[in-house]
Amino acid sequence: MSYADTSRKRRWLLGAVGLVVAALIAIEVLFPANPFTGLAVVLLTLVTDPNYVGSVLRLTVPIAFAALGGIFAEKSGVINIGLEGLLIISAFTSIAVAATLGGGTPSQFDLWVAFGVAVLASVLFALLFAVVCIEYKADQIIAGLAVWLIALGLAPFASKVIWGQVNSPPIATLNDWTVPVLSEIPFFGPVLFDANPTVYMLLVAVAASWYTLNRTAFGRWIEASGENPKALDTVGVDVRKVRYAGVLLSGLFSGIGGAGLALGRVGQFIGGGTTMINGRGWIGITAYLFGNYNPLGAFGASFLFASLDALQIRLQQLGYSIPSELIGIIPYVTVVVVLAFVGRTQIPDAAGEHYDSGED
Amino acid sequence: MSGDDSTIGRALGGLVDASAIERILISLAALGLSVVVGAVVVLISGWVLSPCPSAPFATLGGLGEFCYNPIEVYWVLLKGAFGSTFNLATTLQETTLLLFTGLSVAVAFRAGMFNIGTQGQLVLGALGTGLSVLWVAPVVPAGLVGGVVLVAVGLLVGAAVGGFWGAIPGALKAYADANEVITTIMLNFVATGIAFTLVSEVFKDPGSQTVQTRFVPEYAQLPALVLGIDGFSMLALVGGLALAGLVYWVLRGTSFGYDLRTSGVQPDAAEYGGVDAKKTMVSSMALSGALGGVGGAVYVLMVAGQWQSGIPSLGFDGITVSILAGNNPIGVVPAALLFGALKGGSLVIEFDLAVPQQLVGVLRGLVILFVAMPEFFRMAGIRYGYGDDEPAVATDGGTPREGGADDGGDSE
Repeated sequence: MSYADTSRKRRWLLGAVGLVVAALIAIEVLFPANPFTGLAVVLLTLVTDPNYVGSVLRLTVPIAFAALGGIFAEKSGVINIGLEGLLIISAFTSIAVAATLGGGTPSQFDLWVAFGVAVLASVLFALLFAVVCIEYKADQIIAGLAVWLIALGLAPFASKVIWGQVNSPPIATLNDWTVPVLSEIPFFGPVLFDANPTVYMLLVAVAASWYTLNRTAFGRWIEASGENPKALDTVGVDVRKVRYAGVLLSGLFSGIGGAGLALGRVGQFIGGGTTMINGRGWIGITAYLFGNYNPLGAFGASFLFASLDALQIRLQQLGYSIPSELIGIIPYVTVVVVLAFVGRTQIPDAAGEHYDSGED
Repeated sequence: MSGDDSTIGRALGGLVDASAIERILISLAALGLSVVVGAVVVLISGWVLSPCPSAPFATLGGLGEFCYNPIEVYWVLLKGAFGSTFNLATTLQETTLLLFTGLSVAVAFRAGMFNIGTQGQLVLGALGTGLSVLWVAPVVPAGLVGGVVLVAVGLLVGAAVGGFWGAIPGALKAYADANEVITTIMLNFVATGIAFTLVSEVFKDPGSQTVQTRFVPEYAQLPALVLGIDGFSMLALVGGLALAGLVYWVLRGTSFGYDLRTSGVQPDAAEYGGVDAKKTMVSSMALSGALGGVGGAVYVLMVAGQWQSGIPSLGFDGITVSILAGNNPIGVVPAALLFGALKGGSLVIEFDLAVPQQLVGVLRGLVILFVAMPEFFRMAGIRYGYGDDEPAVATDGGTPREGGADDGGDSE
């Protein structure tokens, strides 16, 4: 597909958005009693409410970390659709370790140890996935699916062994960190400088990921490993090592995301149905596709999707009876629509393919 | 051509191409390895559980107690699956449902597409079935005749709704080049959300607290023939087996099946040979979705008697079944029986041995993981002198594809 074709599709997309906005304005002019204005006012008060934005940022943590991980893996040429599974593994491990260490009442130190162990567990799982894909040339989609399904079975299984039921008892969560002076700044203070440590980690990780991918040699290797592994091989960089690094980074980030949700926000492991992760890994994938493999874009999309989650809770508190399941599907519909308009021209050329240097 | 297209096509082509014997060996080896790893999981979980509630199975000095005996767990699992009439009914009920979802995934796979969306097609198909039967029921006579009409209507509507929902990702791939792996995953969530909202807002059973429709009439539910246990009807199982044969025949013996398979293995060659690849994509995904929708219809008409929230993950299990079966419609039958038996036995290991039934979920994931890495078995075979070192056919595609030369992925 040519570049011109893509830009034409993007123009269509912009046109469609413009039409919707125009239609809303027309409704407002013609029918002053419509519910949209009221909704818009509510939205406007919400986005200027530091409490709301702060809670959205906390909800963004697991989604955006999964998205960052997915970017590194896929850019290096390994499509990791097992992100959801990595989130589940680290969420479960973090709670299991914290509860064991503290005997039910873990200290902040115990929580941080558990956080580290959970990230390690996620990285080990990602390593398993990497070995299977890179050494044994497994089909990446099927292997990623397997990672998700194994986690989906293993976490509730282990929960039942440890706690006798699929849910853990509740435990404490990580305390917020307040930066003196800066947290006094109106709006930005409470949002950015009086937040959960996982939120700080996310902001740092987004910036670091962007810098790594765009300004460092390693970032160029990752890019080349996914776009043109042969060229990378020719200049003497081991494609396998770069791909291992990409997948392990996805394990690292997903580990932080899963433990961040469990220890930073919920304080419990919930293992019934789709578990407490509840599709956040999949939304992470949609976020980086929506953000076009750019960490900043992926963060923006994650924030947007997380805000829908928080919005629906707020709207219900305010008495708007919008079915929550319907709002819940918005991220998924968005991605399908975006894919329909933009296709998938941005996917790295060699992603999903095994690379064989032909040396051994 | 974008990289992703050839990737999935290549992987699927490889899986389809591997010879039948090789496929069966790989599936059996994957199964065996899953059982071994599963046994280790059982051992470790028994160690984590210690001190044991009853006498430990083994005590190793220094290491502590191991509560579960893996061999006993597997034995009880197997015995539980077929031991009593009731357990057998559970096993065959699950087998029947997995036949439909397994066939659904297999058809799409054969056409070169990875339909992860069978779950969504099943959920919406089930809703279509439940609602259509409820709507038609007042105008047909009660009793056998009415029952036959209602079941036929339910199956047709289920297939139509599932087929429509399946055709969407097919059309998106054909005409907008949107990756079907992503769209089908997303459409699963959309389907569940739509069905839940429709039922909770519009079609909810007024006499119930939970989100579910009213029950379809008793005479519209498939009769519990042969075993006499509610929730399993031999009619559905026989229908499912016949459908497996039919799908096999359609794929092997009809020109549509030929078009479908060639587009799956060699899309460019198929196009060159006069196959309308875009149309084939849409119709094969519609067929796949229709099979998933029939699975939903059978779930409503045989198991639940209504649409209810929290439909089990039959669609995802269908992926496991199809992958284990090498995407062969006939192979789907033993694979469905195996996972049906695991389901039937899982309830018994939890009841008798206190081993969590989620063990079966772990085994399911392991099977998929190991089937996905045939290269592992090939390497192991070569190392121990059983195999020959023929080039890999299974995952990196033995057949070079047109336009694939610039992918850079294969250097030979």
